[in-house]
Amino acid sequence: MQGVAGTTRAEPEMPPADVRKPAPPASPDAAGETGGRSRAKRIEARNVDLYYGEFHAVEKASVTIEPNKVTALIGSSGCGKTTFLRSLNRMHELTPGARVEGDISLDGQDIYAPGIDPVQVRRLVGMVFQSPNPFPTMSVYENVAAGLTLNGSRVKKSEKDEIVERSLRGAHLWNEVKDRLDRPGSGLSGGQQQRLCIARAIAVEPEVLLMDEPCSALDPVATLAIEDLVRELKNRFTIVIVTHNMQQAARASDVTAFFNLEETGKPGRLIEIGPTETIFTSPSEKATEDYVSGRFG
Amino acid sequence: MPEAVRVEYQGELERLEASGLGGLDLVSASLGRTLEAVEHQDVELAQLVIADDDRIDGRYLEVHQSLITLLATQSPVATDLRLISALLHVLKNVERMGDQCVNVCKLIPLTGNEPPADEEMLRLILTMGGQARTLISQAKRAFEERNVEMARDLVRQDDAVDTLNRECFGLALEIGDDADRREWAMTMLLAARAIERIGDNAVDVGEQVAFVVTGLFREFEDASHPEG
Repeated sequence: MQGVAGTTRAEPEMPPADVRKPAPPASPDAAGETGGRSRAKRIEARNVDLYYGEFHAVEKASVTIEPNKVTALIGSSGCGKTTFLRSLNRMHELTPGARVEGDISLDGQDIYAPGIDPVQVRRLVGMVFQSPNPFPTMSVYENVAAGLTLNGSRVKKSEKDEIVERSLRGAHLWNEVKDRLDRPGSGLSGGQQQRLCIARAIAVEPEVLLMDEPCSALDPVATLAIEDLVRELKNRFTIVIVTHNMQQAARASDVTAFFNLEETGKPGRLIEIGPTETIFTSPSEKATEDYVSGRFG
Repeated sequence: MPEAVRVEYQGELERLEASGLGGLDLVSASLGRTLEAVEHQDVELAQLVIADDDRIDGRYLEVHQSLITLLATQSPVATDLRLISALLHVLKNVERMGDQCVNVCKLIPLTGNEPPADEEMLRLILTMGGQARTLISQAKRAFEERNVEMARDLVRQDDAVDTLNRECFGLALEIGDDADRREWAMTMLLAARAIERIGDNAVDVGEQVAFVVTGLFREFEDASHPEG
């Protein structure tokens, strides 16, 4: 089955109910500091080609991303790893002229099938960006609650309070901000702002969390705090993280996928994917070996 | 083709490999002098070997420290990481082999000026020593060439050293009733045992060759489960 965003094609046999209906608000009785049962889903990408207009950015990427694991995407600049990440929650198509070919599914559900609402896909597949981007005019509380109201659902105040607290606890931020929930989110430190963005992303109870170099703007201590958090969050979500920091991939991920660019102007390709331990001790491909060893930039 | 980077680091790693493996040459030379000292009952040469072991220990410390620095500062991974891990093992083997030469040399004064040597046993020990030197140089070459087959062949050669060692034991049992000859034979058994251990250390180096190449560590021969 060839999925082409923006083109017409047959309805899938199974109605994609999960990604059509807004999910109910998260149960407030979820247990634990980071709270909640696992909602993680398996992502299957088959023969995915990604384009920006005429430019072929990623060629024939096929990969299975397992639930409750952290999968790191590594590779040099321009190899297509971020483009691939953005295709997993239908953000790639927001760029004018961008298109997707191939199949991407979430637990068997084609996310590019006709009738699928991309906004719902993005609710189920949350994203944390390179630079912390809390809404500058909103308070800490409002930043976390933003996603709950943005998708149109009405949530009672008491329920919202519980979700905000649980999400902030889940992002290891609660103790630092519980006394200033009404202060602007932009007043927090860089590391705190990134954890606030993670809290915002998990407040809507996604199934997958995509992270695009989430620590590149943070100092080493804040970076390690986010890495600890990522390891904990994988118990609830499928996590895909793009990173330029190979030691971060080695420390924080269970599975590593290496993308490479043969030469400028050619599309990026997925070269090798495997357990992180194997990729960093005995990779199968010479290109992977050269990249992780830092022999070629 | 992308431009090569980390050139200095790669150069340093190559230099440390050459220096670490050079320790095997030092050991081979030390064993050569040890055998000469055994053959001619040369106590002075034996003292020289004992004193010169500081050079082997120095090589061990120098390369070991530099490898730790590389680990701390360069975060090596994949083949580089396996190479560094293997070199740390090899350095330990080098240091142990040097000590075995010292052990043999310390025995030489104990046998007296004109010991009642048994020619056949002496010949066996010198043959063992010669074969152990071949093992050392073959282990070095296998490492340099990343040649797993050559490394595996060390087991076959080490079996020959082990056989000679057992023959020494048999000779010692039948050396007769003369107390001096028995004492000499017992002392020489200790020397044979030390040389046999040098052979084992060379096989250990070979196992590290296989680890560098394949990423899997497997003992070529498991002493505790010889049938497996």
